[in-house]
Amino acid sequence: MESEYFFNAGVPPQALLFEQTSTSSSMPIWQSHSSPMEMQDNCSAHRLFNSTWEKSTGHGPHLESTLSSMVSSPGVANRNVSGESFMELIGKLGNIGNSNNPGEISPHSQPMLAASYFTTANNSANTSCYTTPLSSPPKLNMPAMDQFSKEHLNIPSLGKPMGLNSSVAEFTADPGFAERAAKFSCFGSRSFNGRISQLGLNNAEMAKGCNPMMGNGKLPRVASSPLLKAAESQKRDRSSPLQDRSDLTNSQESSVSEQIPSGEAGVKASNELNSRKRKALSRGKTKESASNPPVNATKDAETDENSNAKRIKPNEGEENEIDPVKAEEEPKGSGDDSQNKANSKPPEPPKDYIHVRARRGQATDSHSLAERVRREKISERMKLLQDLVPGCNKVTGKALMLDEIINYVQSLQRQVEFLSMKLASVNTRLDFNMDTLISKDMFQSSQPLPHPMFPSDSSASAAIFGHQQQPNPPLHSNISNMDPLDTAGLCRNLNTQLPPLDGFTQNAHQYPTFCEDDLQTIVQMGFGQNPSLETFPPQNFQGSNQVSHMKIEL
Amino acid sequence: MASKHTIATRHAQGIRARFASRFLRSLLRLRRSGNRFGGSQSNDEGIGKRIRTDRIKIAAYAAMARAVGPRRTWSRALLFKLRNRARIHGVSRKRCLVSEKKRVTRNKVVAISSREPSRADTLRKLVPGGDSMDTCVLLEETAHYIKCLATQVTVMQSIADRLLL
Repeated sequence: MESEYFFNAGVPPQALLFEQTSTSSSMPIWQSHSSPMEMQDNCSAHRLFNSTWEKSTGHGPHLESTLSSMVSSPGVANRNVSGESFMELIGKLGNIGNSNNPGEISPHSQPMLAASYFTTANNSANTSCYTTPLSSPPKLNMPAMDQFSKEHLNIPSLGKPMGLNSSVAEFTADPGFAERAAKFSCFGSRSFNGRISQLGLNNAEMAKGCNPMMGNGKLPRVASSPLLKAAESQKRDRSSPLQDRSDLTNSQESSVSEQIPSGEAGVKASNELNSRKRKALSRGKTKESASNPPVNATKDAETDENSNAKRIKPNEGEENEIDPVKAEEEPKGSGDDSQNKANSKPPEPPKDYIHVRARRGQATDSHSLAERVRREKISERMKLLQDLVPGCNKVTGKALMLDEIINYVQSLQRQVEFLSMKLASVNTRLDFNMDTLISKDMFQSSQPLPHPMFPSDSSASAAIFGHQQQPNPPLHSNISNMDPLDTAGLCRNLNTQLPPLDGFTQNAHQYPTFCEDDLQTIVQMGFGQNPSLETFPPQNFQGSNQVSHMKIEL
Repeated sequence: MASKHTIATRHAQGIRARFASRFLRSLLRLRRSGNRFGGSQSNDEGIGKRIRTDRIKIAAYAAMARAVGPRRTWSRALLFKLRNRARIHGVSRKRCLVSEKKRVTRNKVVAISSREPSRADTLRKLVPGGDSMDTCVLLEETAHYIKCLATQVTVMQSIADRLLL
């Protein structure tokens, strides 16, 4: 009867999904599962499970009876369903599982999927090629479900999944389903790891007792991924289990971790502190997992980050009706989601890789800390670059500064190009004995040059010293007519022929190369480049080059 | 005396001296090799000059990278590029063209797949080896690269000036 209704409504798969999974998982999940799901036509299912939910929560003692009735029902329901419809269900399930990003599916829906996958996977375990990936989901989900039911509903329900499997055992497996199941198994194992690490060792033991093959199914998958390490570290350090896992898990784990406190809060109000802590943690983690996209869907997770945050809120709103304890939590959580800052109640930051402490009012989750460290580093480097690049002190803002830096690097590279061009032209025109130049240059370059920023505009410096050369017009002809082999004596010649130059080099001793270079630049450029500067007295140029530069700019 | 000065002065001066000596030596080598086939260069002056300019530029960059040594990322990348270039040029000219074509297409694919380039990406293109750096490292390397480029420009300027005299 029920199944017929669902067929007419056009949502048989989901309805069936709820039906089956309801037996194994706890009641509070239903509500949160159906509400944020973005599938098109689950309004009927929503209504249905709203009603069941109200029934179960409104009458606490009735919960057990409801569940037991549900446990008995799926067998009947499944018998009514034909194989094709079940395939359809599986197909939709596969779609859900494949998308697997925190945005499209609400975190609460994931364990449900896991549970349903568990049942379907067991059905098709007969198929030969996909046995290994298919056999792993049951191992994952069975302990989860059992733990769940034990914890929240106080019903030992170890046998229930098995009953389910037997009821749907006649369905065959199509290859598409097998593929999806195989895909699912990879993140199913992750969720399993997360759950084990969160619920502790007794859960793991129970899972092992429940299914002895669990260890076999789990180990190879875990060995290939860094999850094992994370799980172990979480077992060691139980105080911050979610932080360690943050970068290597996907939304599945966060959904699992979030689901538990909600269930606990729904059933036991005494556990409110613990649940709140966990929930806050998990909320931070859903965000992180959205920024760290899962393996299957990389791009959608990034785009859906905001929608994920939005989708959590209505979920919480419904939980508020259920539990007044959550009402205190809700504004905090929404503020966290909107500001991309973590919870105000700080969990212990993992001490392995971040050694920074957050100040008061700052975000404390590991990603925020790391981001802050990175930003500080970048601004440090920016300051360093600010000292190096001229004209960078005036601009404010990193973008403008980067522009300035880019321009400067480009100009330097262009200068290198230009100078090499110049050297190439020199190479052909003049025949030098460069060995003498090498020795001389070695000597010259070893002199201290405290100002590495050589003023690149040689015309300006030429103009500065242009008038100094005016009293010595024969210098130019002297030098140009000089024997090119006699480069060693060039400096000496210059110094002797220019009396003011000697004084200059003595006075401004810290710029020996500078003035020498400039002098040679003058010789090259000729004089009278800037006639207005010729009126300057010579003592002006005994100051620093910045002074003269300012005068040039006037 | 020069070595004493080098020890006494700061590290940047060491780089400066090393770059100057290396660059002058490679200039000398280039000039000698240019003299060897100087007759052919007189025919087409423009092309010969362009080739010589490129060679001198490459020599300058190589001298800079060798002076810095392999402890910086940018110098390592530059040295690697130069070595590859020398290898390819040594084998044949055609190979080089083919590989450049390949490289261009690969770069195009990468550019299309990634987002629009930011300022950091522009800087990444300018600094050798910047493709593989994150922003922090990129800025650090840029600082050092700017220092070295400024030194290079200074030295080259002084050499050019003295040669032009």
